Order: sequence, then structure tokens, then C-alpha cells
Amino acid sequence: MVDIRRSIDKRLRIWLLFMLAGLLALVVALWFFQVVRTDRYVRLASENRLRMLRFPPIRGEIFDRNGVPLALNLKTFNIMGYPLDIKKYDLLPIISDVLTKHGIPSSPEDLSSRIEKQYWAPYRAVIIVQNLTLTQMTAILSDPVFPRLLFPIQVTCRTYPAGSIASHILGYVAEISREELVSRGDSGYKGGDFIGKNGIEKQYEDLLRGKSGEEILEVDARGRKIRSLTEKVPEKGKDLHLTVDLGAQRLVETLFGDFRGAAVAMDVETGEIRVLFSAPGYDNNPLAWGVSGTEWAHLIYDESKPMMNRAISGVYPPASTFKPLVGLAALSEKAITRNTSFFCGGTFRFGGRVFKCWQKYGHGNERIVSAIKDSCDIFFYQAGLKTGIDNLVKWGNLFGVGKVTGIDLPGESTGNIAGKDWKMEKFHEKWYQGDTVNYSIGQGYLLVTPIQMLRMYAALANGGKLFLPRLVSVNQPQYTQLDLNGYNLNLVRNGLIDVVKRGTGMKAGEFGVSVAGKTGTAQNPHGLDHALFVGYAPDKEPRYAAAVIIEAGEHGSSVAAPIVGELLAYLVTHDETYSKQN
Amino acid sequence: MLLFLSAFALIAIGLVVIYSAGGGPGTRGSMFAAKQFVWTGISMIPFFIILGKGFSKLMEWSYMIYFISLTLLVVVLVSGASVKGAQSWLSIGPFHLQPSEIGKISLALVLSRHLCRYPPNTLSGFLGGLAVAAPAAFLVLLQPDLGSTLVYCFMVFIALITSGTPWRYTGTLIACSLGMLPIAWNFLKGYQKLRLMVFLNPAVDPLGAGYNVIQSRIAVGSGGFLGKGFLQGLQSKLHFLPEPHTDFIFSVFAEEFGFLGTVFLLAIFGLLFCRMISIAIKAKDQRAKVFISMVAGWIWFQTVESIGMSMGILPVTGLPLPFVSYGGSSLLAIIIAIGLISSVGLSSVKMYE
Repeated sequence: MVDIRRSIDKRLRIWLLFMLAGLLALVVALWFFQVVRTDRYVRLASENRLRMLRFPPIRGEIFDRNGVPLALNLKTFNIMGYPLDIKKYDLLPIISDVLTKHGIPSSPEDLSSRIEKQYWAPYRAVIIVQNLTLTQMTAILSDPVFPRLLFPIQVTCRTYPAGSIASHILGYVAEISREELVSRGDSGYKGGDFIGKNGIEKQYEDLLRGKSGEEILEVDARGRKIRSLTEKVPEKGKDLHLTVDLGAQRLVETLFGDFRGAAVAMDVETGEIRVLFSAPGYDNNPLAWGVSGTEWAHLIYDESKPMMNRAISGVYPPASTFKPLVGLAALSEKAITRNTSFFCGGTFRFGGRVFKCWQKYGHGNERIVSAIKDSCDIFFYQAGLKTGIDNLVKWGNLFGVGKVTGIDLPGESTGNIAGKDWKMEKFHEKWYQGDTVNYSIGQGYLLVTPIQMLRMYAALANGGKLFLPRLVSVNQPQYTQLDLNGYNLNLVRNGLIDVVKRGTGMKAGEFGVSVAGKTGTAQNPHGLDHALFVGYAPDKEPRYAAAVIIEAGEHGSSVAAPIVGELLAYLVTHDETYSKQN
Repeated sequence: MLLFLSAFALIAIGLVVIYSAGGGPGTRGSMFAAKQFVWTGISMIPFFIILGKGFSKLMEWSYMIYFISLTLLVVVLVSGASVKGAQSWLSIGPFHLQPSEIGKISLALVLSRHLCRYPPNTLSGFLGGLAVAAPAAFLVLLQPDLGSTLVYCFMVFIALITSGTPWRYTGTLIACSLGMLPIAWNFLKGYQKLRLMVFLNPAVDPLGAGYNVIQSRIAVGSGGFLGKGFLQGLQSKLHFLPEPHTDFIFSVFAEEFGFLGTVFLLAIFGLLFCRMISIAIKAKDQRAKVFISMVAGWIWFQTVESIGMSMGILPVTGLPLPFVSYGGSSLLAIIIAIGLISSVGLSSVKMYE
């Protein structure tokens, strides 16, 4: 036993000697590196003969579903220089003169602070001027006083051919901010890099971004390149093909004219978004090229909020477009049947209050299908009361009301499904039956985003598939299958068909394609009523759903319905599978 | 308690360098340094618990501890967070743990116990030892964390040697491992192959993997004899060096404190190893001797690799510099190991009285 222990101790001593020898070897190596400086790179760096240059990554480009370009890279040029050379030869005044002469006013102080911002090491190249066109670049370079130590590199600049038509989808890129640099940590971003700030550009930043390139070179005593020591070319990011149809998008923009609001359209069998439009829009091109503080403030503080994506961030009362869901909930919870009828005399007295129908002379006896067709408020007041608020909230939840849809865009709003618990928490007040009455016609506390309504109608159209809306298609579309009774669903859908055939939404059916849908006119505390229409087409075998809201558009039937009708007609007639069948 | 003091001297140096590496005052450097300080504090809890319980108590539980670590290593493979292509992080509330770090302690515990119970002086004992260690090393390799796998293998190797494996077995093992290299090459990921190739010839590197190595070499070299001074390093600031607070922390230190500083740092490591082995030799418990040799192997391997890497004389594996690099799990594991060794030291002192 003692013997074994002694043998272990002997081996431990050998192991210690070995470890110490290893450390000593490191000391010797460090001596060579740090004191004798035998390393080639160390020597080059200390002799100021090493230069480093970084090429920014090339961003992937973005196209619509037909290959029409939405975001492209324009070839531009940056003029680069090394802080070391600039300081040694006092180049700043010369550079300032040359640039000013060629129409790029820049004082030596501006240049100096720009260099300061990018400074890492004296031998690492900094950008002197960026985004020059080929002509600008050649003009400056061929100027006899242009310092030979500066040099151009080719870079890219983002441009958006569709401008404001698709800016809410695409977002824009801009120079990375200090905060983003810190929060992105070691993921390879450098000051001066471009990063997606909104929309698809932000959502798919990691895919689009690409990889930067780098070059380390050896120069002679006068700063001229002798050889490249290592070189890595920049890599382009992934190109994206969106599900959006720019033609339809453009059509919507024309139809909107000066209206404010939003329009969204979706393929009901895949959840792919075909149109996502918000008005007023903004041109994202200048943002990518860099805007001044005042221009930016203009955009941000504009009272019409052009930067806001109303299609996913705008919240509105769904108004009458909510009625089909109330009807479906009432049928499914057995509060009513297809034959239950309520009499509409234009007013409804309940709990000491008088609730009116929009049709002040009344609709007479209404059943579920005709009530949807006529958008009869009185019918839905009573159907909603019989169903009860808890069941209405339950069905709203099923269809994703008051929840983000999860569309691949940043900044989606949740809206508000309200209900008893919500009211207690928010106002410390119990839910009154009167609240249910308002809720039943999509008013009161209920708030939705256009994309939520679109998704709900798409689910009515496709038999209960609640899709995850996508702007970039995936192989396997994701959806939740709702458990709906086919008979009840058909009653509601017949109602929606009648709305366009002979009801309040007839203007949606004037474009050669059979449309089903529902109008809505939402009370607006800030001004004129909002006009809504949500629908799908063709009515019997739905392919596309669309939702439109026009702020202060007053009447869903006359303003929003024709836009949805024309948009759906466009989508259906441009659909290859559909046109083959017919 | 020279062991304890040298360990804490290293941690203190680490805090200073982490602060500087993150960019100094008012940047994420102060956040990293503060986090590391908190981790040091948290690690003191298990440290004192272990001192109280004593080394032999933990030795009794070694199989259970090993089993738990293996389970964690499986869990991390199934549900861990992936960072830079390796699935090695487990999130428990606000904490992010790397089970492979805790695995090092459990491996040292279980293997030293096993090898003393079944000495590797026979072929079956030798292979038995390898069999006990294999699952841990294999699970870490699956993550894939090549650097940690190498640490595991090196620890096993040292354990086999100190516990009295005949030289002919070790010789065969080395020969076999060398023979396996060409096969192993095929299993390496593209970026790992690249790192090794870059190590063999950093100047010719079409894809730029040598870029980091070159920058690190310049950082180390430009430190000179006296260094540029605290917070004066240029290379490490503003992302110029990749991950200056973790993998390349030595480059930051070497640039700012020069040759004088690096020799001082290595001297502390030397002192630490001397104290460890001296405690091992004084210990009566044979298992403690093997255990300490394994912990020394772990710390030594990472130290040499991390420093060698920042000079470009060893390939880049992404191993942290023990005590110094930023990283809670690695610090926690090492402080626990130091706690275990201190406990061995205390118990042998008691016996001599």
C-alpha cells in the first residue's frame, strides 16, 4: 500500500515538473513575442507597415412573389484612408478642399470627427466619404490634388424601387446605433454598418445581412501596398422572395387615393400575405441614405403618423364586421338556431337604456342569415345577450381577437378583447349587460387590428384554419384548426354571401368576381366614423380574403366595400390555379 | 492558504482585465466585471459548504454527482440553447449554466475513486477507467464542444498516469489516439478543420479565420516589456478583438501589462500548481492525489491552450483562461474544485496534529 502511494507521489512530482516546464515554455514564447518581437505581424505593426481594411457585408435583396424587385443594392463607392497616413501627412485640409470643390462640402473638423468615430487603430482604414456614385468617385480621384494615399472601395447602398407603396412591409435600413452595437454584442457588427430598422429588413436581419470581408496588407514605407497578407471577400446575405404581390399593392394604393387607413389580403389556404398596405405612407429611400434630424422629426411627429403600420399596429373597433363571429358564437353555444327570429323595430330597450338599430325604421323579423345580410343591430344585441359575454370572449379568443397574429413583422399590436376580468382589472368595475349589447355589434371596449380581422375571415372562408400570416413563405404553413360545426358555419357564410348579393355590401360585387363579406362603420371618438369591409372571394370556393379600413371614411358599404371588391377581383383573376379552372 | 490566495489573485486580475476588455468605464466592461464579481460571490457558497462537508463526503457521493452531470449533459443536448453552433447552455431562471464545466469536477471525483478501487495496472482496470469516463467525454463532443472534450480527455489521461498505469498501456493509448487522428479529422466540422489549418499556416487563409489570430498576436506583441498600461490597449477596444473578455482575455492582459505582467500571471499559476501537488503529496487519501492531479491537468491544459492560442502557437479552441476569463459556469466549477482541494489540505493538516 505504502509502495503504491510512493509511486503515485513520484508520478505527481513528475507531473508538477511537466506543468512547470509548460509554463516556462510559455514564458520563453512570450519573451520572443513581447520583448524580442520576432512575430511578423507584430513587427509590421510596430513599423507602421501593416494595414487593415474591412469591407461591409452585402445585403440580400428582396423581391415580390413575381420576382419584381422591392429592395435592391445600388453599387456605390466609399473613399477610405488610414488614420495613420492622414495624420502623418496632415491630409485633412487637402481632403476638405477636394471634396468641397466636387460638391461635397466638408470641413476639416467634420472629417476629423467622422474619423474619430470610426477609429480603432491607426492602421485600420476609416471611411472618409460614403455612397459616391461612379461619376462622383472618378471625378474626385482624377483631381490632381487628391491625396494618393486615399483609395475607393466599392460598397452597396439600399434602394427601394416601390418607395412608399411597400415601405410598411419592407421597413428600411440605416446605420447601426450605439445602443444596437452594444446589444448585438459580439455578433460582428461594426460602427457604420447598416442594420434593418423596421419591417422585413428588421425581421429578417440575420438572413439578409451577409458577412463582412477583411483584408490585411503589408505596405512599404510610403504607404503603398506590397502584398495582401490575408483576404476575405464579403459575402452576400440571402435574397428574400416575399409572398406579396406588388401589382395588387399598387392597385390598393391607387384605390386609396388620399384616404388614411389600411388594407391587407391573404391567401386563405396558406396564410400568405398578398397585400399589406398602410396609408399615409412614407418613402423609405431617403431613410436608407440617411436623413437629417429635422427631416426625421417631421416623419416622427407628423400627426397623420405615416411611419405607423396601421395594418398590424392600428387598433380599431371591428364594428359590424364582428357580427358574423357573434352569430357563429350564438349558433354554436345554442343560444339561437337558424330559425330563431328577433323583431327589429329600430330600437331596443334594455336596462333602462335605448339601443338603436342603424336602420331607424327597423328591419322587421330577422333570422341569422338575413340579420347578417342587413347588418341588423337589434338582432345581434339580443343574440349577444343570450350568448353571454363569457361565450363571446371565448369565441373571440378562438379566432385570435385581441392577440398578436404572429406575422413576420415587428411592431404588431394586440388590440383588446375586453371581457369581465379585463374590465375589473382596468376599471375596478363589473361588466354590465349593456356592455354586452355594445360588444355584440363590435363596439365598446373591443379593439382589433386589420390583420386580426383578415385572419378571422380567412378562417371563416377556409373552414376554420386560423393561419399564422406570413410575408416570407415557408414549406409548411402553420395554422390552428378550429373545431367548427359545418352547418353553423354555412349559415354564417350564406349571410356573408347575401351581404354582397343583396345586402349592405353590394358595391363589393361589382368587379366580376363573386365576393362574400361584411361591412362595418365604426364610431370614432376623434371625428368621422371609420369605414370597414372584410371579405373573401370567390364566395363558394374562397381563395383570398381581404380587409380594408378607411379612417373617417364614414360608410363601410360605399367606401371600403368597393376597394375590397376590386382588390379581391384582382387577386382572383391573377391567380394561376383559378384561371386554369375557368 | 497559499492555494486560496493565488486563486483569488487570479480572479482579481480577471476582474480588472474583464473590465478593460469590455471597454472600460461606462461600457459593458463594467457590466461584465460586475457580473463576474457576483458570480465569484455566488461561488463562495458551495466553496464553504464543501469545506464544511469535507472532501471524503463528496467522494462518497461521486457516483451520484457523476450521474447528475451526465443527465444534465443529455438535457442540454436535447433542450439547451445554441450559442455559436454549440449546444452547451442551460438556462435556469436568470442563470445560464454550462453543464460541461460542472462535468469536469464530477469526472475528476468519479474517476479518481474508480481508479483507486480498481487500479489500472491490469488491462481490465485500465479499460474500466476509460469506460467510466467515456460517456461524459462523448456527450460533450456531441454538443459539439471540441475544446472541452480535449480537456476531458487530458484529465483522464493524467488520472491514468498518476494512478499507476503501466507505461506500456499509456504508450498504446497514445499510439491509438494518434492513429485515430485521420479518422477524427473527418468528423470535425468545417470551421474546426479551418481553425486547425489556420494554426498550421495562419498567413494563407482564404476565408479569414486567421484574422483573429493575427489580431491577437499583434495585441500580445505590441504589449512589449512593460505593456501599454491599464485601459490603454487599442486592440481589444470596440470589438477589434473577437470576444476580448472570454476567449481572448489573455491578449488584452498581455497588451496592457506587457511581458512583466504575463510573467507575473504565469508565476501565480506556477505557484498554484506547486501548492496543489504539494497538498496531493501530503494527502493520505490516494483518491485525493489522483483527484488533485486531474484538477491540475484541467487548469493547466486550459491555461497553456488559452495563452498559446492568443500567441497563435496553438490552435483556437475557444477555451477560457481559468479564473481570469469572463464566464460564471467556468468560474463556479473552478472555485468548487479549489474548495475540494483546500478541504483535502485541511484534513491532512488535522491528521498530522
